[in-house]
Amino acid sequence: MAATSGGFAGKVLRVDLSTGKIGIQDTIERYEAVLGGAGLGYRVLWDEVPAGTGPFDPANKLVFAAGALVGTSVPCNGRATVTTIFPTCWPRPLVGSGHMGGHFAAKLKYAGYDALIVEGRADKPVWIMIRDARVEIRDAGHLWGSGIRRTTLELSQEMGPDCVVAAIGQAGENQAPMGMVINSVSHSAGGVGGVMGAKNLKAVAVQGSGAVRIAGDKAEWEKLIKFHLSILGGNNQHVVPSFPTPQAEYYNPASRWVGQPGRRWGAAKPPVELAGDIYDLNRIAYRTNSAAYFLGGEAWKYTVRGNGCTACPIRCHTMLRVPSVTVRYGIPDMAQNTCIALQFGRMFFKQPGDGKGGEAAIEACMVGMHLADDMGLWSNYGQLQRDLRKLYEGGYLKTRLGSKEYASIPWDKYENGDPAFLLDIIPRIANRQGELGDVLSRGTGAIFDHWSIPEAEWARDRTTTYWKMGHPKHHANEDDGQCGVIINTQYNRDAQCHSHTNFVRNGLPLEIQRKLAAAIWGSPDALDAPGDYTPANVYKAKRARWSLVRKELHDALGVCNWMGPWVASPRWERGYAGDDSLESRFLSLATGRAIDREELDRAGERIFTLHRALTIRDMGQVDMRSKHDLVPPWVFEDPNGAAPFTKGTTRMDPADIALAMDLFYEIMGWDKATGAPTGERYASLGLGDVGEALRVGKLTPESGR
Amino acid sequence: MKRGRQPELIRLAAEAAGLGASLSRRGFLMLSVCTVSGLAALGLEQAFGADAPLVILDNAKGMILADPTRCVGCQRCELACTEFNDGRAQPSLARIKISRTVHFGPGGPTGGDGMHGDWGDGLVLQGVCRQCPHPVPCATACPQNAIKVEPETGARAVDPAVCVGCRLCQRACPWDMLSFDEQAGVATKCFLCHGRPKCVEACPAGALRYVPWRDLTRDGGPQRSGLSVVSPESARACTDCHVPAGKTGVR
Repeated sequence: MAATSGGFAGKVLRVDLSTGKIGIQDTIERYEAVLGGAGLGYRVLWDEVPAGTGPFDPANKLVFAAGALVGTSVPCNGRATVTTIFPTCWPRPLVGSGHMGGHFAAKLKYAGYDALIVEGRADKPVWIMIRDARVEIRDAGHLWGSGIRRTTLELSQEMGPDCVVAAIGQAGENQAPMGMVINSVSHSAGGVGGVMGAKNLKAVAVQGSGAVRIAGDKAEWEKLIKFHLSILGGNNQHVVPSFPTPQAEYYNPASRWVGQPGRRWGAAKPPVELAGDIYDLNRIAYRTNSAAYFLGGEAWKYTVRGNGCTACPIRCHTMLRVPSVTVRYGIPDMAQNTCIALQFGRMFFKQPGDGKGGEAAIEACMVGMHLADDMGLWSNYGQLQRDLRKLYEGGYLKTRLGSKEYASIPWDKYENGDPAFLLDIIPRIANRQGELGDVLSRGTGAIFDHWSIPEAEWARDRTTTYWKMGHPKHHANEDDGQCGVIINTQYNRDAQCHSHTNFVRNGLPLEIQRKLAAAIWGSPDALDAPGDYTPANVYKAKRARWSLVRKELHDALGVCNWMGPWVASPRWERGYAGDDSLESRFLSLATGRAIDREELDRAGERIFTLHRALTIRDMGQVDMRSKHDLVPPWVFEDPNGAAPFTKGTTRMDPADIALAMDLFYEIMGWDKATGAPTGERYASLGLGDVGEALRVGKLTPESGR
Repeated sequence: MKRGRQPELIRLAAEAAGLGASLSRRGFLMLSVCTVSGLAALGLEQAFGADAPLVILDNAKGMILADPTRCVGCQRCELACTEFNDGRAQPSLARIKISRTVHFGPGGPTGGDGMHGDWGDGLVLQGVCRQCPHPVPCATACPQNAIKVEPETGARAVDPAVCVGCRLCQRACPWDMLSFDEQAGVATKCFLCHGRPKCVEACPAGALRYVPWRDLTRDGGPQRSGLSVVSPESARACTDCHVPAGKTGVR
């Protein structure tokens, strides 16, 4: 493949830390069918990491992969997936991916690589230096024990100020399953930090002077870029503002488009006032303020600006400056992040000292971001915090933890909602100190194993939001009824899928959403309003399939599934319709090879099915339906006893969910009894080799019987 | 402009200014000191000294103004510059500079207080071409006179047909704003996109504006040491206009 091919960089970099060997492969030759990103990761794991490999074994591999659209100006790109045998997956680690934004993925492309595969284990701490064609394994002894901030600073001094560093902190060094890798201050891939630590890999630092070529006509490309910008909404592709304005026909208080004219970035020097046309393409960055959305209006005065991934105009990582935290807790006064990671600190408390959006809550967020993003400790979508609270509030720790250790933990600060509690608990977990620190560093499954607590005690308690296999729900029935439930059954960690919830929560009135749904998924019955559910139907299953396929596609192309797909838009003159073919149109222009929506979706389905195959193989189990695609009991309950399908409850019905799974398996071409792809299905997706290997192993529905 | 015509231009300029037919070099200096932009009124965007290859470029009409307090570090400006002009996404080629400053600011990864960028106080100090007034360091350094005024905007632009890729312009720019296109083997710089700068259009935070030109070369220090990159022949030509004051009869 010529070095100047479009979209793809053309090369996959392999670094074997056991032997020191560095090699290059041709991306298109090996991996064209799986595109890149997580697809490439799954393929490597299938081909090269045998079933039964443990996450911290040298035989496990880490696949850092960008995607064909990464490094371009396609809005909302810049994502890297990190695919590996995922350590927090319980009771048995299986394939999983962390996802990180920031600047790492783009820099890898400019250096000339679509992916980096790390193999083996170094015999002492090392870091990988990548500067275009020059790749070296360098000694990291001087960095071991340092946090991610210092590591980034020192490696940048060594390589140059434009380099991007992906590093682990103490949590990863300690091989904590809850360790993560971070680049660009706040952009983290959860769960994979410990795998890096087990390989003695402290960091990967990249500089790149090369180009991502656009093979197609550059005027066409510019036109499509501008079109995409014109149909963007705010964060999570919420397409109406959260505030009433004469500029918009609709508004929705729950929308993440919070940038109301009159607000300002209060901690900028001088403050920046939000003003003017909210649809102005030169003002997209003012629509979103994650801190204001999650912490309330008070956060505006601490907001410096937005930040985020290369080329994304949304800037969902809000940069905050809170001077009081330096005096009170001895930490820097600046931090940035979004969603759960922004709230890492606050979520440890039942109720922060002065309410959800008060000063103590904001300070707790600052302390949490500082510690978690420096020591590299993952939240597992907030499950870490919920677990700690349940263990304490439920009396588990009082009875199970040794009295000396129990007394050493500042529970009084926890009770008072004092952010200083975090100065103890976060390092305790990252450093795996004592029994509590160690158990929590291993993920929720370790709680069940270590203290012999039945999983059911979590699975029956809706306040834990526990789902299965050691991980929580991630946009399930609380957002999207049967569609959300289906999606949450499919992965080995939390689902990390936002295709469905972005649409459902986009803020448009239900009748307009249903009209759009009819055009995209075949019927207005494809969705209900959250909490006002109707029985399962084939259209909801179709939408679940679309959601999953597009999530894998985004994770393969390197675009952000927290923003896409872009099927709804803020444009009233389009009937609020977006464009369901954007991914394929961009890929066609970038690569110069025409691919339509259906063909690209088939590639997405291929990738998703490969994940299924890996799960089946590594579980040694063909019956996915009863052994893997699980739904926790709390989903089928309501605290007030409301019945399913009554307005105001998100309670689902078991028979209806069983039907939903039937419909989903049917649409996927999978065996209904087992939820496993048939040999024929594998073959039709170009996964014949995979299907054959599973058939031989009696792990297809036909051979397993 | 052909060399042989240069004295003719000076004569024209002198007549237009009412300074008489045999304008001395000193007179030309007086003329141009009054208003360099006056050259435009004479239809002279560029003028050569009699001992060429000295180049005097008329001032630019517009420039890109960058506000660091609005920059959100997305690099869409860099990408628009190269994708829409060159057909490829390549920040190292971009004619507006973000990548080298976004993480730690122009001072680099020093740590401590006062550091800018994502890892410091958050300020992104964008690197933007100042479209320098005379003497234009990059144009003056170029042995081929490949850097000329672009008619629509007055931007100083590299003519890739003339550039031989010697990189002297890169060394001459006090703000290190010249890029080098490794594929084509020529230098390139901000040419203001024929009056509709792509970076300005692309910025999602309104941090860039296209505004009337003013001299920014005296605001804030340059990024690198001022190595004078001027060939001896050009330097000698400077003395055509730059002569000691008070030694002539011209008032």
